[in-house]
Amino acid sequence: MAIALEANNINKYFMTPEKFHALKGISFKINQGEFVSITGKSGCGKSTMLYILSTMDTDYEGSLQLNNQTITGQKQNHLAAFRNEHIGFIFQFHYLLPDFSCLKNVMIPALRLGRLSREEIEHNAYEKLKLLDVGGQALKAASRISGGQQQRVAIARALINEPSIIMGDEPTGNLDSRNTAVVFDMFRKLASGYNKTIIAVTHDNDFAHKSDRIIEMMDGKIIAQ
Amino acid sequence: MKIGINTEIAFTYLVSRRKQTIVAALGVTFGISMFIFMNALITGTNEYSEDTMLNTTPHIRLYHDNELSNGRMLNRFAGNKTINLISNPQLVPGDNRIVNPDAVTSLLKQRNDVTALSQQVSANVIYSNSSVQENGNIFGVNILEQNKMFDIASTIMAGSLKSLSENANAIIIGAGLAQRLNLSKGDYIKVTASNGASKSLQVVGIFKTTIKSIDNTKTYCNIPIVQQLLQKDRAYITDIYINVKDYYNAPAIGKSIEQLTGYTAEAWQSSNEQSLAGKKIRDIIANSVVITILIVAGFGIYNILNMVIYEKIKEIAILKATGFQGAHVVGIFIRQAMLIGFIGAMAGLAFGWLISWTVSKMYIGLGNVTYLPIAFHVKHYIQGGLFGMATAFFAGYIPAVKASKVDPVQIIRG
Repeated sequence: MAIALEANNINKYFMTPEKFHALKGISFKINQGEFVSITGKSGCGKSTMLYILSTMDTDYEGSLQLNNQTITGQKQNHLAAFRNEHIGFIFQFHYLLPDFSCLKNVMIPALRLGRLSREEIEHNAYEKLKLLDVGGQALKAASRISGGQQQRVAIARALINEPSIIMGDEPTGNLDSRNTAVVFDMFRKLASGYNKTIIAVTHDNDFAHKSDRIIEMMDGKIIAQ
Repeated sequence: MKIGINTEIAFTYLVSRRKQTIVAALGVTFGISMFIFMNALITGTNEYSEDTMLNTTPHIRLYHDNELSNGRMLNRFAGNKTINLISNPQLVPGDNRIVNPDAVTSLLKQRNDVTALSQQVSANVIYSNSSVQENGNIFGVNILEQNKMFDIASTIMAGSLKSLSENANAIIIGAGLAQRLNLSKGDYIKVTASNGASKSLQVVGIFKTTIKSIDNTKTYCNIPIVQQLLQKDRAYITDIYINVKDYYNAPAIGKSIEQLTGYTAEAWQSSNEQSLAGKKIRDIIANSVVITILIVAGFGIYNILNMVIYEKIKEIAILKATGFQGAHVVGIFIRQAMLIGFIGAMAGLAFGWLISWTVSKMYIGLGNVTYLPIAFHVKHYIQGGLFGMATAFFAGYIPAVKASKVDPVQIIRG
């Protein structure tokens, strides 16, 4: 089975307010199509690690490979293009752009990628919104819909460029149990149906236990995987 | 039209913060409208004073200046056996005539940078009517040629130019002289030269330039009259007035005419240096005012963009997280600044035109200034638009670069 992610001996230090060893020599692999939950107490470094995996944080030691490409040491612009194409990121808060409609929010990463025509992108964005059951909200401003709907629009945005890896920083942390179930089912479908790799940081034990694999962290180390 | 995603985002931000956009654009509008107005006023004033100058001064005056004595004659007399030096050479008061003026004129006519030529001869005279006398200068000219240069016809109050060329013993006098000597059209005036020669001439026209020194002293008559007053022959011509196409280039053209003819050429610039200094000072004043205003407008854009970026810092982080590169973020905010600049500049051009137009209707009524001189030049509007955009660009660049440096991890994680 192809490897989607390989982390080798990753160390991360925070310099302010004082030097703090946040990640201590973390190494692991994730296969393609795997649905992995990362759990641990607050401050154990799981979000820190996720941001390194997401390529946004480049200030670390060790090496990281995504989709068999070496990420460590790449230029910011290259990383931005890589994120745009290969990674869908879902945040705890929806972080939609409030001045745009839901549809536009979903379209923006694809317009940035610029691989398809505007009409095709609009069609795909509609499809994604329908898939997440928020097709009816497409033309409303992103700030005018409910929290659960916003999170689903944010997921649609993460999916628009058909990324092979989807990362979530507590993607269900702000949702009620009904919406959590919807999101989980979506992830499950993406992992087994579309062979997408899902990496989600979560506090929700039910969510974690239903996933394929749990990476548990404590004090900057992996204690179980 | 295909609109890029950066432009679309910039545009949406502008529209969603309408008030801020308008305030920022108003800064540019004000700056550009002042730019237009100041330029229109200063250029109008400059053109007015230039017109006034060129209504009395030709672009180039060609005349025969006194020469320093040289050793040419001495060499001819003493030969090359000795080195002949003239210590303390003096100016030789010569005949100030231009030799064979028609040949010189036709030579000049062949140049394609010359637009008009007029031969003339002038004399200091005393005008008298009964026992009242006035000093002045009489100019013997071909009035129709001279009219092409100075548009004398437009200053004529009574009579006509044509009657001067039709009547050999005619004279056109200034309004001031007419008043002082109580002359009107059809009356006779006695003109006496310094050598005692005198002529009685009929007034066929009265002109008014509103420049007092000219209206009180200057008169026009036919060339032979002055030649007779000076007791000279029919070929006696002292000046050739030359108008050229590019009169800003008159000094250089003058130099080449000097070389061509051997006579002294004086460009209008050298006889009007004071006025040109005034023009320069006006330009500097106008430019400093305009630059100040544009800088203030630039700071307006800078401030508002900084505010926008502060407000949108989370969204910038998200854009970067979803794959926008630094250059894309710069692009978004530069576009935003440029759009503000564009809107502001367009409004500024319209508003500047409106101010200029309104002010050009202001009645002054002093001397020959009836309405405030205002120039409407397309050049100013193009410059104004470009300056507005440039100001917006520079004002937007710094905040845009700042925005592009946002670290998404720091912002998203708080």
